Amino acid sequence: MEGSKGAVRIQQEDFSQDEEIRALKASSKRMGGIATFLGCARDFSDEREVTQLAFEAYGSMALAEMNKLRDEAITRFGLLDARIVHRIGTIGAGGQIVFIAAGAEHRAPAFDACRWMIDELKQRVPIWKKEVSPQGDAWVTQHP
Amino acid sequence: MISILLFGPVAERAGTATLQFGHRPGLRLQELRDELSARYPQAFEIVCFTAVNGEQVRDQQTPLADGDEVAFMAKFSGG
Repeated sequence: MEGSKGAVRIQQEDFSQDEEIRALKASSKRMGGIATFLGCARDFSDEREVTQLAFEAYGSMALAEMNKLRDEAITRFGLLDARIVHRIGTIGAGGQIVFIAAGAEHRAPAFDACRWMIDELKQRVPIWKKEVSPQGDAWVTQHP
Repeated sequence: MISILLFGPVAERAGTATLQFGHRPGLRLQELRDELSARYPQAFEIVCFTAVNGEQVRDQQTPLADGDEVAFMAKFSGG
């Protein structure tokens, strides 16, 4: 399935959850349930204060994987539409990192697909995170 | 010529994000990896995934063509 225009993006700039949900809803009036996940930058990790996160991606592969992921989620869970947005570059503590939305006729597939997409994204999409703290910078090489 | 891409923690350890490697007939992914691992041991000790031309490749015996783009990547940590 070809992704709706703008439904899958990697970008430096911040995003608006309202705009993403509006775009998702615009794709179908049969949508009875929308589940969303918003990943944010924490200010604390492994006993250390974190002031910023820095994200780097293998851009072309990451975007292709995210598109595949969306297509798979739509097919697997029978979604009406889905959106995935991931930021790269530097994001201050408390900032928005990733947004995922799944729209379905009913809530159960929307919830299931949303959870599945963020879990798969973490496993499959070539993006790396560095934590910037007063004690120094460290790349994160594991993710619970 | 093979273009090598390194990202994030692997690039930091190698001190570079891109490398060029001369192609030779019969070159396989494993040989490339072995040669680069010898040159950049600290970087390659955290390499978990390999991609050729943007597709993840698990078979290290995959033959490489002149002009291929090969990425050696650490475990992903996006999201």
